[in-house]
Amino acid sequence: MTFLKVKGLEKRFGGRHAVDSVHFDVAAGELVGLIGPNGSGKTTLLNMLSGHLAPDGGTVTLEGREVTRLPVHRRARAGILRMFQLTRVFDRVSTLDNLLVAGRGLGLNARDALTRARALLDELSLSPVAALDAGRLSGGQRKLLEFGTCFMVPPRIALLDEPFAAVHPSMREIMGRFVRERHALGQTFLLVSHDMPVVREMCERSVCMNAGSILADGNTEDVLNDPAVIEAYLGGEAA
Amino acid sequence: MGNSERRLRAEFHGSLVILALVAALPLVLTSVYWQGVVIVSLYYALQAMGWNLVTGYTGQMNLAPAAFAMVGAYGVGLLSHHWGISPWLGVPVGVAAAAGIGLVLGRIVLPLQGAYVALTTLSFAEILRLVIGNSYSVTRGDLGLNVPTVFDGRLPYYYLMLAVVVLVQIALYALMRSRMGLFLQAVRDDEVAAASRGVSIVWWKTLAFVVSSAICGLAGTLYAPFAGLISPELGLILNTGLVVSMVVIGGMGTMIGPIVGALLVYTAGEMLREVGDYHLIVFALLVIVFARFFRGGIWGLLQLGADRLPGRRETGAREG
Amino acid sequence: MLYLDLTVTGLMTGVFYALMAIGLTLIFGILRVVNFAHGEFYMVGAYTYTLLSTALGVPVWLTLPAAVLVGAALGWVTERTLMRPLYAGYSSWGLMKDEYAIIVTFGLSLLLINLVDKVIGPYPYRGPELIDTARVHLGPVIADGHRLMATGLGVAVIAGVFAFMRFTVAGKQVQAVAQNRLGASLAGIDPGRVSAAVFAASGGLAAFAGGLLAPIINASPDVGVFTAVKSYVVVVLGGMGSVAGAVVAGLFLGVAESFGAVFISYGYRDTFGLVILILVLMFRPQGLFGEKGRSV
Ligand SMILES: Nc1ncnc2c1ncn2[C@@H]1O[C@H](COP(=O)(O)OP(=O)(O)O)[C@@H](O)[C@H]1O
Ligand SMILES: [Mg+2]
Repeated sequence: MTFLKVKGLEKRFGGRHAVDSVHFDVAAGELVGLIGPNGSGKTTLLNMLSGHLAPDGGTVTLEGREVTRLPVHRRARAGILRMFQLTRVFDRVSTLDNLLVAGRGLGLNARDALTRARALLDELSLSPVAALDAGRLSGGQRKLLEFGTCFMVPPRIALLDEPFAAVHPSMREIMGRFVRERHALGQTFLLVSHDMPVVREMCERSVCMNAGSILADGNTEDVLNDPAVIEAYLGGEAA
Repeated sequence: MGNSERRLRAEFHGSLVILALVAALPLVLTSVYWQGVVIVSLYYALQAMGWNLVTGYTGQMNLAPAAFAMVGAYGVGLLSHHWGISPWLGVPVGVAAAAGIGLVLGRIVLPLQGAYVALTTLSFAEILRLVIGNSYSVTRGDLGLNVPTVFDGRLPYYYLMLAVVVLVQIALYALMRSRMGLFLQAVRDDEVAAASRGVSIVWWKTLAFVVSSAICGLAGTLYAPFAGLISPELGLILNTGLVVSMVVIGGMGTMIGPIVGALLVYTAGEMLREVGDYHLIVFALLVIVFARFFRGGIWGLLQLGADRLPGRRETGAREG
Repeated sequence: MLYLDLTVTGLMTGVFYALMAIGLTLIFGILRVVNFAHGEFYMVGAYTYTLLSTALGVPVWLTLPAAVLVGAALGWVTERTLMRPLYAGYSSWGLMKDEYAIIVTFGLSLLLINLVDKVIGPYPYRGPELIDTARVHLGPVIADGHRLMATGLGVAVIAGVFAFMRFTVAGKQVQAVAQNRLGASLAGIDPGRVSAAVFAASGGLAAFAGGLLAPIINASPDVGVFTAVKSYVVVVLGGMGSVAGAVVAGLFLGVAESFGAVFISYGYRDTFGLVILILVLMFRPQGLFGEKGRSV
């Protein structure tokens, strides 16, 4: 059974199609790369999957259940968890409590949430700053923390919007390893990235968007070698 | 235990110590006048605690706490005036009225942010005050209402007010220690992120408004029989200003700040009155200085001081 | 004749609502914050005008500009000391921008009220009138001489603000910063200076309104509190940040109140605007007269 099904999703801003009739499926346990030049509609698509934007048309189905009209918090509880391109954490509570918010919000009891949060802090090397208010973390640490909040409860699917952009290589390494390990255990991901080598290395399959539409979808190597994809990257502002 | 919980516990224990001192105060403070001053400052403390829940913890700029206290007071006053119902029965009615109106206000400001919340709540507060002040046939308008006393002497009021502050503080502590505490702070810091982690913004924001309004209303219901006369002036913006000052000075978004702030601002204000009545100027200046330079208020300063002591590095102070 | 009378009275009140709201909306346009001390600039203007005239005997034609200067100075100092951090890296304080602006201007409002209450006293002072003529017949409408003069000056100043925004380089810079702060600073405009200038102008306008109305409202420490509430209504109604909207909404509110007081209820006349404010924010947050949707 297809795990996540996106059918005819579209979004207009003013008259302009930011996302135009997008179809694709993600199978359980897949790690799919979502690539495309700046402004091609990747973030907008993610916003519709996570419920932050209401689509103008189309449906999103998760494990056979249509979630298109579900509000953000219900979708999160249904297992669609996302990371934002511009980091969002709770600045005035501690790093640990940021994780606890996610744990409790997603239904864990206090004790389980704490156990889970401690384990994640260790895994992400955030333990030294556990008691620090998140507003005082470095940019990279904040990103790492937001990344962590996606995994307090194993998500059905994790939507990651440029998790590796503008972070220190050591933190990129931590997140990359984490993604690979979870993927090996069967975790499903949709990974938006500008970083071609990263996508090439991590994702068996990639979807490339351009100007709101899907340009290519398939084996990552094939997609990256697709003349239309190369053209789109060269024609647009290649990253 | 999360850090938020740890902070809450320290603040809660601190507030209990202070309230215990207030309980012992009448042993030395035998002046009826000064007991009255403490009663009024506890009345403000309750409002400050209510306001702190919705604004300090949840980040919704509510400029209506005094209006909700006024609503509570009029709940008691109107029942007694029109039907001769005892203030004791008026208390739950006044609290329910404040909670109900708080629910309406909470729903109205639900989609709004920042300054728009402030403007809406301010307007709402003024509407409540103007309606009560102009409905002469029902409320006697600016003349106010007489409310029968329920006790002889000051001390019973003193301990009633104190007991209610303690109980509300315990209830708030229980609420804040539950997931609600985490969620409210998450909503305050970033609504979008909070929703993305399964937190229902609608539910928690509305709940914060209702509970906060009920606490402010409760303050008013207890104040009415103590004061004996209530008027729409209870709901003046200036009184809201006093509540805001108390919390900002005591420490916004802490369990102890509202109590410390209210006792300090009101009681110290009365003391300073004898040396020249400059207290409100001083407190307004303090509000500006704290907001401008140091969000933690007095409690935050103490925390900072404690952190500088050797061996107390890890607890994580709330300095901004 | 009642309708005409009510319309004229309403418009005359509305001019002062507009005068107050212009400053507030300009500040919102530049800094995206609401100045909760705006009413106190008005109060300070009323006192400056009244006390200089009555206590020092300065002629009213000098005390009016003096009130404007004092209000402008106050606005400028407020911006330099309290608002600057809003665009000079506020994140380190731990207070969100909105929270900070609201609390700090609310605190300023309390400070000014209590300062005046302590230094000058809580009792109201009645300001001198600009002209002695008690009654002026304007066709069928009878108006008080001072009120007429004050309204005329108010209209002139509003027209002046429009001309300034439209025809001067400085006015265009203000609009540029309001539209796109970053873009404007890239184009060589110093947003900090523009903010300070706008705050000064806003303070000056409010103080001007306070001075003009001093003989009618009687200066007292809290005289600005409710006036400020009215200007919030107007600013929201006109669309936050829109000067033209503020003027239209100010006149509209004046007329609506004067009709409402007669046809709906005199006692509740002050609540009309507040109810409208809440309804507007609920259903049309860009304002009744705002064109563009502003995200709230
Ligand atoms: N809230 C919005 N309002 C108007 N246009 C938007 C909005 N969000 C995105 N867009 C536009 O939609 C297009 C797609 O943007 P986005 O999804 O952010 O692209 P990507 O993430 O691929 O860089 C862009 O042209 C962008 O300018
Ligand atoms: Mg993007």
